[in-house]
Amino acid sequence: MINRIFRYSVIFILLILFQVLILNNIQISGYINPFAYILFILILPVETAGWLILILAFLAGLIVDLFMGSAGMHASASVAAAFVRPFLLRSMAPRDGYEPEAEPSMEQYGFRWFAIYTLIIVAVHHLVLFWLEVMDISNFTGIMLRMLASTLFSTVMILMLEYFRKGR
Amino acid sequence: MRNLLQFLAKHNRIFVFILLEIVALYLIFSSNNYHNTRLVKTVRRTTLAWESVISDIRNYLMIRKLNADLHAENTMLRNYIAQLIPDSDSVDIIFRLNREPDSLSGSRYEFLRAEVVNNSYVRQRNFFTLDAGKVNGVDTNMAVVSPWGVAGIIISAGDNFSVAMPVINLDFRLSAKIKTNNFFGSLSWDGSDYRYAVLNEIPQHVEINPGDTVVTTGYSAIFPEGITVGTITDFEKSGSDFYHIRLKLATDFRRIAHVYIIRDKLRLKQLETEEGFYD
Repeated sequence: MINRIFRYSVIFILLILFQVLILNNIQISGYINPFAYILFILILPVETAGWLILILAFLAGLIVDLFMGSAGMHASASVAAAFVRPFLLRSMAPRDGYEPEAEPSMEQYGFRWFAIYTLIIVAVHHLVLFWLEVMDISNFTGIMLRMLASTLFSTVMILMLEYFRKGR
Repeated sequence: MRNLLQFLAKHNRIFVFILLEIVALYLIFSSNNYHNTRLVKTVRRTTLAWESVISDIRNYLMIRKLNADLHAENTMLRNYIAQLIPDSDSVDIIFRLNREPDSLSGSRYEFLRAEVVNNSYVRQRNFFTLDAGKVNGVDTNMAVVSPWGVAGIIISAGDNFSVAMPVINLDFRLSAKIKTNNFFGSLSWDGSDYRYAVLNEIPQHVEINPGDTVVTTGYSAIFPEGITVGTITDFEKSGSDFYHIRLKLATDFRRIAHVYIIRDKLRLKQLETEEGFYD
């Protein structure tokens, strides 16, 4: 248990550093900014208490907010993603349920499963994030396009990270 | 009471969710007004140290490009000085400027040098942070120009750092005019591309061409008159009597690094005299 908390803390810190120091400084074609720190919300153990996931997601979002000067937007988007997670996990459960200590990972449930899981959570996160940023529907298609492009990019980034972490 | 507690325990996830979202939304809305970003500013102080390191690294990586820009700017300035003082060579000018640092104090505007230590350009409300603050004489509502042209306006000044709102922010407004015929309009940004801005309120009887230069008017007592904003790329007649003009910004907000802050020494006097007339 202690071991696990330690492992997740290290992942948490590494992901935030990666996000703040590297990803926030590379923006592809001026529109797309990938957000890989969401991976932390994705890989928490399945049986983690709902409120704990929400609070951890809030903290992760808040730290990214502090570095981006965007008070609250990432916190809000992360909490929304964390809220959706249990519903999604339940509907995507294997036939005989999750094992007691299971963690959602590419290694355990395969690339396809993990890719769909990631895409949906990232889409929720980005949907909230992009609309909170603009709060204006005058440029609906433009913003949806930006959101979709960023979603795809973040998903690919997260899948790559997960592959290096666990997959083969 | 027990029932209530049980109810809360059973649905704790939803309550934690709502609570956290309220906190997050509170943070967003309480800091949305850019004059009022006290919380963000307090926290920013802690992250600025990091950002200085990051921007140092970035500047180091871009040093070749920056040198080229500075060199180009230097050349331009030297040519300009040579025009002003025809019978002098450059050595003489450097000598004079060094001996008389106040030789420009007769001018209405004063230039301060600053570096960009943090910058955003993919968002809808972008900002950039400069490494000069109140200690260096920076205050709100001062103009920021890059070597290429207009960059932004200082909206918040701390002791050692200040935050500026660039042209590429949905809240940015600037009075700008077409250089060839002096018709002026309102410059803003539509949030789509950090390289382009929009100029409105130019009446349709005015003749304009792609490639025309757009410069500042100086009406707002923030920017001096005649600083380049960008060049017109295309325009269309919108339903009203005005053009909808798209222009390519002279400043590349993706590589903005060295900037100058312009202090208008007569700003307060102008505003004082104008008080009550333009509201």
